[in-house]
Amino acid sequence: MSIVKRPEIKNTWYLPAILSGMGITFKNMILNLFGKRQMLTLNYPEEKYEYSPRFKGSHVLTVKKDGAIRCTACMLCATHCPADCITILAAEHEDPSVEKFPISYEIDTLRCVYCGFCEEACPVDAIRMGPEWQMPGINGANFVHDIRALAKRPNLKGGVISVVDEEERHKAGI
Amino acid sequence: MPKVHINGIEVEVAEGTKLIDVFLQNNEDIAHYCYHPGLSVAGVCRLCMVEIEGNPRPQIACNTVVQDGMKVTNKSESIKEGVKWVLDFHLINHPLDCPICDQAGECGLQEQYMKFGQYDPEMGERKVKKRKVVDLGSKIVLDTERCILCSRCVRFTDEVTKTNELGIFNRGDRSEIGTVEDKPLNNNYAVNTVDICPVGALTSKDFRFQQRVWYLDDKATVCPGCSTGCNVNAFYNDKGYFRLKPKHNEEINSYWMCDEGRALYRHANKDVRLLQAIEKLGDEQQYLAPGAAAKKVSDLMSSVNKDKVAVVVTGQYSNEEYATLFNELLKPKGISNVYHWKNQESEWNDFDDILLRGDRNPNTKGLLSALDAANIKTSWADLEAKLAAGEIDCLLVIGPEIQEYYKDMPEKISLFSKARKLIWFSANPVEGLSADYIIPAKTYLEKNGTIVNYEGREQKIQQMKTIVSEALTLSDLSYLLVGKDIPFAGTAS
Repeated sequence: MSIVKRPEIKNTWYLPAILSGMGITFKNMILNLFGKRQMLTLNYPEEKYEYSPRFKGSHVLTVKKDGAIRCTACMLCATHCPADCITILAAEHEDPSVEKFPISYEIDTLRCVYCGFCEEACPVDAIRMGPEWQMPGINGANFVHDIRALAKRPNLKGGVISVVDEEERHKAGI
Repeated sequence: MPKVHINGIEVEVAEGTKLIDVFLQNNEDIAHYCYHPGLSVAGVCRLCMVEIEGNPRPQIACNTVVQDGMKVTNKSESIKEGVKWVLDFHLINHPLDCPICDQAGECGLQEQYMKFGQYDPEMGERKVKKRKVVDLGSKIVLDTERCILCSRCVRFTDEVTKTNELGIFNRGDRSEIGTVEDKPLNNNYAVNTVDICPVGALTSKDFRFQQRVWYLDDKATVCPGCSTGCNVNAFYNDKGYFRLKPKHNEEINSYWMCDEGRALYRHANKDVRLLQAIEKLGDEQQYLAPGAAAKKVSDLMSSVNKDKVAVVVTGQYSNEEYATLFNELLKPKGISNVYHWKNQESEWNDFDDILLRGDRNPNTKGLLSALDAANIKTSWADLEAKLAAGEIDCLLVIGPEIQEYYKDMPEKISLFSKARKLIWFSANPVEGLSADYIIPAKTYLEKNGTIVNYEGREQKIQQMKTIVSEALTLSDLSYLLVGKDIPFAGTAS
């Protein structure tokens, strides 16, 4: 049950409240006009917000030093994905030291909930959630990103190199 | 009968039982890699250590025979410590391949590590590198690095197939399993070595990288490949069927099955199935729903004199289906021209002395007894004579489900084509067949039923994942051909 307060006399006068509100608006307008305070709004898309590097944005498939894709198609990301948006097809690699690799790796970005479980599950740092967050598309755009889009899109400038390197691990005797 | 105490439980066991069997029979956890109940005892993995009261040191359970009054435990701290260290020794040279290893998820090392291990390795030395991805013929890939030298596969080829292909080569930490000069391991039971391998050293080419095992469910059924009727588990998920593995049944197949039988999941998958019925209209083909096609065939059969209708049956369907066929369709319609299509009858008594029999039909016995019960004594020569004389107007062929075992298929197709109207019932498209109606059938993985093996043993097959839901079982077809509705699954006998 709510308690309804009888309006006090001074609250029945609305003009003072309107005037004080307008006062705040004009004060801010004048301050913004002369740039004395940083504006809270951005002029998107000309201005863009810089998120922290830890921001979980669009996915990146990392590559090895030779440019080949790092993923070993172990399917741990697909297994952990709560949105079931990762589809991997594994195949036999001709190089026996690689053995297994993904012949296709697709993420349905419309299904993805950007939780970052794939990044955590990956044993070889093959998938990361990068800082990019602008992935718009107009009618008919493809939101199912394949290896080409995930590993070699122009923004990545040739690909991100994975921190887990098989050769270094072998040299270390693991 | 000796009585033993296992972890405090008193059990009575048969004379000469191995201690490890007592543990396994009583569902007590005991780590083991080299011991396999279907093979001899090697005692090389040293993991099944137990403490026997009055014995100063731990013993291995697989090579100890029970004696009356033994008090055995594997729950003491010293045993747990011992198992942990033995596991560490096994892992010294084992590569970190789990992400790309097909065994991950059903791997003995992973299970043991999660139970007893979960520690950082204390080994300072480098891992010994061995050969990877060694091609052993058309069925198996060998990874010598992952091998923990339990010698199960070596004993399998020595004792079960007696072909002796595999052996352990080199000494010390450079020991590895393999065949002489990497000769192919192509005997008909080779993939059993993949099943018994507790790690991912031997992997099956057929299943390699197809699916991770944790995506698969399994259900027990009976292999339809021959009249032995080996018990198998079929593994499937949303995408279809992926493999068959043997299921233990001491009286039929023990722990094994042949490699020919392992391929018998493929014909059930959607890419090779007949999805719709096909009707031949002159030179053209029309696709229609199986039920609609059955209705048309029903009208066709009613319009023909019953003496001019013939049915050819094969031994690849279940008892229940034969019973419905005879009782619901043939008896009410008075059709007596029923012929048993026997493929390679001269080979029916062949046996490879392990499992595989020459009769490649899982239910020949069931069909023969159904024919006896319906009092049908017809000979194949009759059918040939009648077809040659043009006396058959409507021929219904209950075709084989597994067509590659019917080597006489082309001749039989040309024989059956002499009938005025040919109706073929089959799960998969039949090569070279131009029948008036081809009606899609369900496979043995999509229906319940009973099949009878060569020695008269009745075994159940069960429905798992339905791949083509519109396809018909032989029972469904029989009901539709007499103009009845298919009974609901709950009420069907």
